[in-house]
Amino acid sequence: MSLDFSIFIDYGPRILLGFWLTIKIVVLAIALGLPLGALLALARRSRFRLLSWAALAFIELFRNTPFIIQVFLLYYVLPFYGLRLPAEQVGVLALAAFGSAYFAEVIRGGIDAVPAGQLDSARAIGMSDLQAMRHIVLPQSLAIILPPLTNQMLSLIKESAILSTITVQEMTMTAIRVQGETFRPFEAFIMIAALYWLLNEVVAIAMRALERRWTTRPAKGGA
Amino acid sequence: MKFDISYTIDALPRLLEGALVTLQVTLLGFVLSLTLATALTVMREVTHSRWAHGLLAVYISFIRGTPLLVQIFLIYYVSPVIGLDIGPYTAGILAITLNSAAFVVEILRGGLASVPIGQFEAARALGLKGPALWGRVILPHTFIASVPPLMTEFTQVLNASALMSPITIVELMRVSQQIFSRNYHPVEVLTGTFILYFLMCFAVSRSAALIEARLERRRA
Repeated sequence: MSLDFSIFIDYGPRILLGFWLTIKIVVLAIALGLPLGALLALARRSRFRLLSWAALAFIELFRNTPFIIQVFLLYYVLPFYGLRLPAEQVGVLALAAFGSAYFAEVIRGGIDAVPAGQLDSARAIGMSDLQAMRHIVLPQSLAIILPPLTNQMLSLIKESAILSTITVQEMTMTAIRVQGETFRPFEAFIMIAALYWLLNEVVAIAMRALERRWTTRPAKGGA
Repeated sequence: MKFDISYTIDALPRLLEGALVTLQVTLLGFVLSLTLATALTVMREVTHSRWAHGLLAVYISFIRGTPLLVQIFLIYYVSPVIGLDIGPYTAGILAITLNSAAFVVEILRGGLASVPIGQFEAARALGLKGPALWGRVILPHTFIASVPPLMTEFTQVLNASALMSPITIVELMRVSQQIFSRNYHPVEVLTGTFILYFLMCFAVSRSAALIEARLERRRA
């Protein structure tokens, strides 16, 4: 088998267009999924049984099923209840929901790692629960949360390829089309594999730099 | 529209057949992955070849840096082009094995790191080397230390097996697609599928927790 380099030149721009959509979808899914994950983590720790059980059920359901079935279910359930959205938006929602279940566990782990005395002390000096979270617990949790959070973001980039199964025109879908038109599967798929790999490495390196900046900050006050 | 559970119930026997195929490919993929990863782990310890270590690092980075679906497509579509007529089933199993092994190698590395150096020294002092040293002393310790993350990896392979549906393997996901493309009740059918996947995965996670607790007790 010989490589046909003209494929890279002729179809490169289309692949890059798909790549751009992949990036947009993942960024939106993280922007939606992260706050939702934080809410789930807080709900999970809530004193209201119903709330913490609902959060637990949501998290366990999404963590214990394949992403592809979640995508399909959402894709068909929304119109079933009268909500017609373009495939791209369904894709973003599915990816955000999937991501939030994992984000929630990461965030909860980070919050739990901060000694309970910190929260109690903050409450004792008159902070509200929310203030104590915002000013005392979260800043300390960040150092613990960031590395696994990075892994989850990388996993969302990779899972986004599955959105091709509901006809979202992201990078994997574009490659499937290109291989259908050219009958050159190796060139099509190796091209997108390289781009996914690149994106993965860039995000990993950027997040590691961010970790170093945030965790070398001198601790203010005793533990 | 109203959710009509009779469609879920009607689909159930065929969904269960699909679930059986899912369990089969998961088990096969996991066993193959564990075998390959064990070989790679021993190789990584035994050889000092820069090439072998470099190649392994690139393999792990590539697998972890690209989507499994793309890896499956690469193997499925490219193998006939290079003259390998392996069919979708073999291609799917191969992709899942190569994917999972990259993660299992990292798990076993952690397990191996927890084996005290004294185990190596004691085994060598008894005259054990090569296959006997690894097979009878080091690897059993490594596996036991790796049980919890290996169970998690098993659920990952179970979830990953659903990605064999796009390359026409008739496992649970594909079966449900076949059913609702005939009866036009995707929501009812997919809900059944969703629950089946959840039950399988959840059963593994729960038993993982039980085994972990038992191992803890034995160590104590």
